[in-house]
Amino acid sequence: MTTAVQSSPRTFGRGDAVLGLAARGSALCILGMLAALALVLLAAALPSIRTFGVGFLLSTDWRPNEIVGAGLDAAGNEVEVVSPPSFGGLAVIYGTVVSSALALVVAVPLSLGAALFLVRVAPRLRLAGVLSFLVEFLAAIPSIAFGIWGLFVLAPFLQHVVEPGLKSLLGDVPGLGWLFTGTLNIAGEVVTRPIPLTGRDMLCGGLILAIMVLPIITAVSRDVLRAVPRMQIEGTLALGATWWQSCAAMLRYGRAGLFGAIMLGLARAAGETMAVTMVIGNNNQIEPSPFAPAQTMSSLLANEFAEASDGLHRAALLEVALILLVMSLAINILARSLIVGGGPRAAAAH
Amino acid sequence: MVSLLSGVILGVAAVGHSALDGVRLQGAGATFPNPLYQRWAAEYQKLHPGVKIDYESIGSGGGIKGITEKTVDFAGSDAPLSAAQLAQMGGSANVVEFPACAGSVVPAYNLPGVSSLNFSGEVLAEIYIGVISTWDDPKIAALNPGAALPALAITPAWRSDGSGTTYIFTKYLAAQSVLFSRSIGTGKQVQWPVGQGGKGNDGVAAIVQQTAGSIGYMEQNYASANHIAFGAVRNRDGEFVKASTGSAALAGESAAESLSGSILAADLWNRPGTGVYPIASFTYLIVYKDLSNLGDPDGARALARFFWWATHDGQAVATELGYAPLSPAVRTRVEAALRELTFRGRALGLPGK
Repeated sequence: MTTAVQSSPRTFGRGDAVLGLAARGSALCILGMLAALALVLLAAALPSIRTFGVGFLLSTDWRPNEIVGAGLDAAGNEVEVVSPPSFGGLAVIYGTVVSSALALVVAVPLSLGAALFLVRVAPRLRLAGVLSFLVEFLAAIPSIAFGIWGLFVLAPFLQHVVEPGLKSLLGDVPGLGWLFTGTLNIAGEVVTRPIPLTGRDMLCGGLILAIMVLPIITAVSRDVLRAVPRMQIEGTLALGATWWQSCAAMLRYGRAGLFGAIMLGLARAAGETMAVTMVIGNNNQIEPSPFAPAQTMSSLLANEFAEASDGLHRAALLEVALILLVMSLAINILARSLIVGGGPRAAAAH
Repeated sequence: MVSLLSGVILGVAAVGHSALDGVRLQGAGATFPNPLYQRWAAEYQKLHPGVKIDYESIGSGGGIKGITEKTVDFAGSDAPLSAAQLAQMGGSANVVEFPACAGSVVPAYNLPGVSSLNFSGEVLAEIYIGVISTWDDPKIAALNPGAALPALAITPAWRSDGSGTTYIFTKYLAAQSVLFSRSIGTGKQVQWPVGQGGKGNDGVAAIVQQTAGSIGYMEQNYASANHIAFGAVRNRDGEFVKASTGSAALAGESAAESLSGSILAADLWNRPGTGVYPIASFTYLIVYKDLSNLGDPDGARALARFFWWATHDGQAVATELGYAPLSPAVRTRVEAALRELTFRGRALGLPGK
């Protein structure tokens, strides 16, 4: 017994060193992997970056095949004109931004409401444990399960009930016509047509994403709100605040952390792949209407990567992946800095 | 553990079959014939327990990449090798490419109350360009006298992933419509101006099944297996023909004359002849003519015999699964090509003429 106590400081000292090294090594390893990933993507995307330059971010063209058309040469003779494959990322960047924004518009109020309920109401009803478990369980459902549900339940529901309802309600309202018509380029001629309401569109993609980001925003918001000092809440109540006013004060106190929670949700929405691929309609286009099919960066990769054998096509897809990586990284860094390092209040809230 | 187990299994098998034991063959490529190749592999292993054949359906492009880099023993592809791809493999003198079966692409549709429809190449092209946008368009009505066509918007559905099915369909439409070839062009993946994309045959099928007024192209056996209605297409002789294993095999038969040598590739869209379905194609198997890349002569012999079996007795399985069998005239040419297979210059002992 005594020998064990005596020898323990030395053993612990060696253990500390080993653990310290192992921890440092693991951290460096993860950083190294991220750096390697970025470098490999950059190298693989180079042909596309060289060919299209900044234009890649501004073009909505995504045509992997070449087209042989007729044209005139300098002397006015009819010749075959070959238009080489052409790639641009704007349509999918737009799709990612808009579908993620839609997801947040739906998910944020629900998540904050649920988090408030979990922190302020559920404990009194002895429900907090069960409900927290259910929220976290939602996060563990595989993406493909949401996708199948979206494709066979949500999309038909939107197609048969929600969208025709909205059209009959809003279709004739002046100024809202753009919701239900789209422009098409048909062999060089631009025409405007009603959008067929199919349920597989930007709206459906946004709604699926909303459901998928709900758990993470709710869970992080709950932790943030739980960390608001009790004295703050009691103080507001002592000053005569109503229940609603004290909740508002609570949200205000944790706002940096809550914003971070939302950013984490945004990062998940931007990177989500399979479920979106199944319900968004997979059309690389920019249409203002939420009822038109669209495409996100990750759904584009899921769709095309397997069969992209042509060098430039592959490079263009990898450039999209690189842009997605940089975007997600930026959002995550912003979110982390808000939750962890965003001033004393946010620190208290974590 | 797995290799140990399979070693035991192969050891047991060795009692009955001495010549071709412990052989493992790896193929990869096209997804369209995947169900057939899996069945072939299983059936062949029943007959020759020592021969294990794995086929990974990673897509035609991946298969061609694999055979070029010699990471697989054989490749499956829906599109024949391009001149550049052939050159990368060492030119036509070093390669055997032959059709395994034929298939057809059908225009499947969802139009409540309409049980049969006729299409022509021009009409399909204009639907996919967006020129024809409703089902009661006079051009569709002209092909379908008496049909009660609704004033419903058309939602064209297409493959959002690169696909041999898209390759065949766009090749056919481009041959039928100058507007199509100049504005959309051909390829495994193109930029469609209208409609929406589904990933895989099942993605397109989901769009068609869920959306009244939609039309989507898919493999005939997929449409049939899932009870999705599809239309007849006007062939070169002016008849409206519905896709079937028979009408696709006729398309292959009509191309037999143009097949010779070891690269047996032919376009099957829009072939002339009575009863020929116009949107058909072969799907190909690709190997090196000298199979020394397999490393051992038993493997080479097993692969050659598997191909022989697949293009003979295996064709009954093809028909059963909804693929069009090779016609006798095509098969004669496949036999000649397979006899050219060697291992380090030695013939592989396939049945003679």
